[in-house]
Amino acid sequence: MVHFLLQTIWLVPCYALLGAILSIAWVPGITRRTGPRPAAYVNLLMTLLAFLHGLVALFASWNQPPQELLIPWLTVANLDLSFPVEISSVTIAATVLVTGINLLAQTYAIGYMEMDWGWARFYALLALFEAGMCGLVLCNSLFFSYIILEILTLGTYLLVGLWFSQPLVVTGARDAFLTKRVGDLLLLMGVLALYPLAGTWNFTELAQWATTNSVDPKIMTLVGLALVAGPMGKCAQFPLHLWLDEAMEGPIPSTILRNSVVVATGAWVLVKLEPVLALSPVVMATIVYIGAVTAVGATLIAIAQIDAKRALSYSVSAYMGLVFIAVGTGHSDAALLLVLTHAVGSSLLVMSIGAIVWNNITQDLTQMGGLWSHRPISGLAFLVGGAGLLAFPPLGSFWALLKLADSLWDTRPWLVGVLLVVNALTAFSLTRVFCLIFGNQAKQMTERSPEVHWPMILPMMVLLGFTLHLPLVLQSLSLLPDWDRVYKDVGLLLTWSTIFGCSIASIIYLGRMVSKPVQLFWKPLQDFFAYDFYSAEIYRITIVFGVGLVSNVIALIDRYLVDGLVNFVGLASIFSGESLKYSTSGQSQFYAFTILCGVGLLGMMLGWPFLSHLSFNLFP
Amino acid sequence: MLSALIWLPVLGAALVGFWPGLSASRARFLALAVASSLLVWTVVLFSQFDISNPAIQFSELFPWIETLGLNYHLGVDGLSLPLLALAGILTWIAIYSSNESVERPRLYYALILSVNAGIVGGFLAQNLLLFILFYELELIPFYLLIAIWGGTPQRGYAAMKFLIYTAVSGILILAAFLGLAWLSGSSTFDYKAIITAGLPLTTQLILLTMLLVGFGIKIPLVPLHTWLPDAYVEASPPVAILLGGILAKLGTYGLVRFGLGLFPETWALVAPGLAIIGAISAVYGALTAIAQKDIKRMVAYSSIGHMGYVLLGAAAATEISLIGAVAQMVAHGLILAILFHLVGVIETKVGTRELDVLNGLMSPVRGLPLTSALLVLGGMASAGIPGMAGFVAEILVLQGSYSVFPLPTLVCVVCTGLTAVYFVILLNRTCFGKLDNNTAYYPKVKLPEEIPALVLAVVIFFLGLQPTWLVRWSESTVAAMVATVQIDNEQQVAAVEAPAIER
Repeated sequence: MVHFLLQTIWLVPCYALLGAILSIAWVPGITRRTGPRPAAYVNLLMTLLAFLHGLVALFASWNQPPQELLIPWLTVANLDLSFPVEISSVTIAATVLVTGINLLAQTYAIGYMEMDWGWARFYALLALFEAGMCGLVLCNSLFFSYIILEILTLGTYLLVGLWFSQPLVVTGARDAFLTKRVGDLLLLMGVLALYPLAGTWNFTELAQWATTNSVDPKIMTLVGLALVAGPMGKCAQFPLHLWLDEAMEGPIPSTILRNSVVVATGAWVLVKLEPVLALSPVVMATIVYIGAVTAVGATLIAIAQIDAKRALSYSVSAYMGLVFIAVGTGHSDAALLLVLTHAVGSSLLVMSIGAIVWNNITQDLTQMGGLWSHRPISGLAFLVGGAGLLAFPPLGSFWALLKLADSLWDTRPWLVGVLLVVNALTAFSLTRVFCLIFGNQAKQMTERSPEVHWPMILPMMVLLGFTLHLPLVLQSLSLLPDWDRVYKDVGLLLTWSTIFGCSIASIIYLGRMVSKPVQLFWKPLQDFFAYDFYSAEIYRITIVFGVGLVSNVIALIDRYLVDGLVNFVGLASIFSGESLKYSTSGQSQFYAFTILCGVGLLGMMLGWPFLSHLSFNLFP
Repeated sequence: MLSALIWLPVLGAALVGFWPGLSASRARFLALAVASSLLVWTVVLFSQFDISNPAIQFSELFPWIETLGLNYHLGVDGLSLPLLALAGILTWIAIYSSNESVERPRLYYALILSVNAGIVGGFLAQNLLLFILFYELELIPFYLLIAIWGGTPQRGYAAMKFLIYTAVSGILILAAFLGLAWLSGSSTFDYKAIITAGLPLTTQLILLTMLLVGFGIKIPLVPLHTWLPDAYVEASPPVAILLGGILAKLGTYGLVRFGLGLFPETWALVAPGLAIIGAISAVYGALTAIAQKDIKRMVAYSSIGHMGYVLLGAAAATEISLIGAVAQMVAHGLILAILFHLVGVIETKVGTRELDVLNGLMSPVRGLPLTSALLVLGGMASAGIPGMAGFVAEILVLQGSYSVFPLPTLVCVVCTGLTAVYFVILLNRTCFGKLDNNTAYYPKVKLPEEIPALVLAVVIFFLGLQPTWLVRWSESTVAAMVATVQIDNEQQVAAVEAPAIER
């Protein structure tokens, strides 16, 4: 039985897909009769099935060698596209994480979306994401990974656009779709270019190929850069980071997924591609730099946000930047560990914020305050989530960051510096958010704020417990770095950076020394961060404007030049016909004259050799 | 067997047109019955078709005017079979989605059936003159369909433009065919009998160029495309479906069948140019579509862009790219049909096609939710999102062409991004946004009006998820076809290897 569940692990995404199909059956017509709730219940049931299936299979797969299963899809000419399912404990653990967080997020959504009627669409899309992510972690092929990323891009568009009647939502959905699509298409270019070189899209075979190949490094650099673009878009790295911030217009339950596991899809593909990317040092260096710039930049932006959700979303970009650094320096296992601990901590943070936003109507941090006494559970969840995200021993991310910093210490110490700075700044940012929401005196919007109802509290508490127990889980799976071998100074430094960031933020935001609202010494600099380096503006005046201009110019050319020429030919022929008709006047003199002219012309033509000879004689 | 596909609609057209005292609803029913039986017959044909045989199957040969070299020679192979199915489905859809109170119903349905006969005849003809006959035959019905049942007063202009353009295309192709047969000293115009191998290269090039320009008008390729936006926009949605869905495919089919098939040696010479024209068409179509304010015109321009991929695949002439090109013809026909149909529904219900006026149609209560959902699906299928038929076709074309023409292929990848841009613009403006409370009293969309789109959506999904059903028919034929150009291709690869570096 257990073995059977292991062999049929490919059913996990199918459950979710079935859930999506069942949910979408609650079209408006049926919803009017039954209400929207059944759409959620069928979906929850399917997710639960997928979760349990994965969980049992995980135990069965433990200490087993990885297996591969081929599901044929398309064979054409010499191109064999089969879907390779990789059955290993890592991939199954990833599906368990995805389905588990999905289960919590969907339960949470029952509470959060209480008043909404678009449940069918919402749950179908959540299930689509679940299916896509489970499919992605199980599939062992670059090509199918690309396919799934592309489908998830469409899913993001529809999910962010769930509340489509608000203008900000519409632009957010558009930007999310197009930014991710840019990344996807660059990835597609890389995928297309890689096949003639490597002859395979299977990750395992690609890794083998990478050890024994001799491709021109220039080509490999270009291919590698194209391949990195896809994960860059998914992980919201500079300069494709804009969408994650705008995607915050979507409902919070989807944000739980997005901030934790959806962004991690990019990291997963990046980790899988690492052997290929490592062929070009330029590509690896680029990954590191992109990651470092994003990590530092995005945390600075996060500190300047006044929107609770956006403050969290930029931290996600920053942590994905750390994952990029890990992959770029060749420490894939540290990257995966960080993805896991980040997913858990980040989703707990979003759940807590969601519970606050839900009944305070506002998500503007400047309008909030003093909620600790009313909302201890949400506050506790925020604290634990934050601690789980930061290098706060003994919780999860401490170990992930320690593992990474430890391995970078000897080779690239400056990256450890980046890590410390990012950790300190994130600590500052999270403490700031916490203090603004829970600290100080209550403000008008937060005076009456009871704790939310159980469908939202329950998943929050479950996740809180899991966050606290994550180190134990990791230890039992022997995923923690060996304490005897690591540089303990690094661990100490990380811990101190957390304490430093937290305490500074509490002094500033809780103490009375700094006047409220807190301003940076120089307003333009603060705006620079608050408006996300003005990148939306930059895109608007460069790329968007450029494409718009070029397309308008080409449309004008099409209308007036290409079509104009055609119409001109038509008009000219009508005009000449119209004007020639006046030549049939009936006057014989005119006809005679025309004939004379014609004969004369003909005579000239026929006699030209003779005439030219003549002229030759006249002018020697 | 194949004759039935041609003569059944002709008979049907005659019945619908001349049966005394036929009422409008009876005429529609009769036309639908004929279309349905054609569809069934096509399915029978598919079940009998031997996919491992690359040659012409179900061949029918009757001598006709032998002194001219004109024979009634029909046959089908892997290249034309998928297109037959496409023609069958889209004709059925076009008849079904026609307005039930259409004016002069008997003439209308008779013309649609005769269009079907002409196009199917073109796909089946194995004799060059016969092909030309069919190719010209569908012109007049189309002219009438646009000129009589078109939308605005501009329809006369659009129909005339279409007629002149396509007539020129026909003349060029006829001239090329005549030159081909006479210069190669063939006594007949049979496809099999014509061998260009002996002709001097210059002659071949001239003939091929004439063919390319002729078919290029029909496809259409930039800059020969200006009849298209006018004709597609002015035509009523069912006619636009036929125009864009299957008539344009006669051009791409002709390009592959007669261009590539008859000039395997010269093809390599024109292929780089064709690939570039394909890429330009794709960019041009996509960029022009972005600037449009009329959703029907936007869809029309998207069609130009998508034909660019077919051209690229045909130019590269590798096995995968050519299979992809055939798949793209089918996928594009289906996707264009669903888009035109939905645009038609929106136009009749909301009363406008203007992007700046439309808004919020996704609203579940007072909008057109199902139509909007299907429009999202159609738009995304056209933008090449995986899981739908368009993606399979595009990925095959791109993967197949990359090794031969890397640069145009990458340009085409960029174009799929631009396609996404204008479809997002379209969807954001029409489906998303806030419904205007004062004007939003739209008539409900009844289920029968959605059925064509639902059927097409199912087909698009099915072919996208099970792409084997899209490509298996043409595999062996294409393999045989590619084998004739293979030698040149290898030189091509060697020649293009260098630019592969500078992506």
